[in-house]
Amino acid sequence: MQKFFSNKKLIILMVLIIVTFGLLAVTVNIRDKKSTPPVIQQVGNDVVSVVGGVFAYPTNAVKNATSEFSDLYSTYSENKRLKARIGELAQNQAKLEVVQDENQKLKQELKLNGTLTDYSTVNASVLSRSPSSWQSYLTINRGQTSGIKKNMPVMSGKGLIGRIVEVDKISSKVELISTDNELNDKFASEIIGSNNKSITGVVSRYDSASGDLVMENVNSTKDIKKGQSVITSGLGGLTPRGLYIGKVYGIKKDNYGMTNSVYITPAAELRNFTVVTVIKSSVSGEK
Amino acid sequence: MDIKVRKTIGQVLFILLAFYLDGLMKWAFLNNMNRGVIVILPQIMLMAIVMLTMRIDNRRQLMTYGIVFGLIYDSYYYGIVGLYTILLPLIMVGIDHFKFLLVKNNMGYELSIYFLSLTFLQSGIYLLERLLQQTNTSVFDFITYTLGPTLLWNVVVFFILYIPLANLSEWLVKYRRDSK
Repeated sequence: MQKFFSNKKLIILMVLIIVTFGLLAVTVNIRDKKSTPPVIQQVGNDVVSVVGGVFAYPTNAVKNATSEFSDLYSTYSENKRLKARIGELAQNQAKLEVVQDENQKLKQELKLNGTLTDYSTVNASVLSRSPSSWQSYLTINRGQTSGIKKNMPVMSGKGLIGRIVEVDKISSKVELISTDNELNDKFASEIIGSNNKSITGVVSRYDSASGDLVMENVNSTKDIKKGQSVITSGLGGLTPRGLYIGKVYGIKKDNYGMTNSVYITPAAELRNFTVVTVIKSSVSGEK
Repeated sequence: MDIKVRKTIGQVLFILLAFYLDGLMKWAFLNNMNRGVIVILPQIMLMAIVMLTMRIDNRRQLMTYGIVFGLIYDSYYYGIVGLYTILLPLIMVGIDHFKFLLVKNNMGYELSIYFLSLTFLQSGIYLLERLLQQTNTSVFDFITYTLGPTLLWNVVVFFILYIPLANLSEWLVKYRRDSK
């Protein structure tokens, strides 16, 4: 027996391997199954994120300044294009207000308190991005105290960028839609057809070579045209209906010619933003 | 305050600064989210750690640094504990163990040690994540699109930052015995 335990280095190695796999397995399980990490980890992350805010503030300022500088190049042509759209926009806005008002009244008449399209928002600024290839996380400076829950969708200015994966007390992590983690990157979505017939499917993966999102399980591809808008359908989970994802780019068949995948150009430019919006759905669906 | 305590606080602040720089660099400059086949991961904290490990002789202190900062790194950036927490102390003990082979500290030695530890760290993370099905990247894709660019970028940055970083860590570790 004495000989068995005499090799100290082997025992250390053994303990090390057990500890490694134990820690990894436990934390992966907690991340996938529980809605929040253990309290110690929450407090630790919060402390680190508070101090990180000090460094993130000047970085975001620099980032904003550089993106403004690069915007300056395209200002003239953009201005021309935008002027043409302005008249149309004002008209649309007036129409939208009338329709929203009418919608509100009709909802009251029907005693509908919340539907799939109702949501409130929380703004948060980004503290850092994980230096990791497979965990494409952003850390943001809002958490449980602002009412954020796991799996809420997150938007940047233009469109959907991801989903909350970890909530601490005053900070949380957003997993980007461009991740290749198969558990978390799925969004129930629909394509707004021209003749009021919406086509539903699931945005289920990200094609990193072309930078497109791929929508699968589409019920019919007959009426899909390039340039149609894709929004979240609000079916299942904490995602409300009507969050803008992007525009249809094309349809491809898989290798066996069996199923169709719709390729979507994401609306959110996943580069130049420093503030994100967390969407809190008013109706909570199944968990 | 005791000079030793002050130097230790300095070392901790140095590593902590490098820790935040990792995330901010990735966020501000290497943020390829729309079109990104190539993934560059800044590893400035590892740079600081390697520099300090080359100069600190106290193995217990090294282990403490490795475990504490590994835990923070894992929890804050990865959300999974057990990658840096294990690999970082292993690297530090490894460097400490073979330090006697190096006659004197110069740039070539430290660069190659940094290169080796970065390769070890990234491959270790890849293996562990692959094992736990956090990724389905193939080995060749990992080497071509992650490991290669990461090594290249970090070695260039190491080259640029070597002199200030080396002087700073030298100053943070060395102190005269009689002034204690």
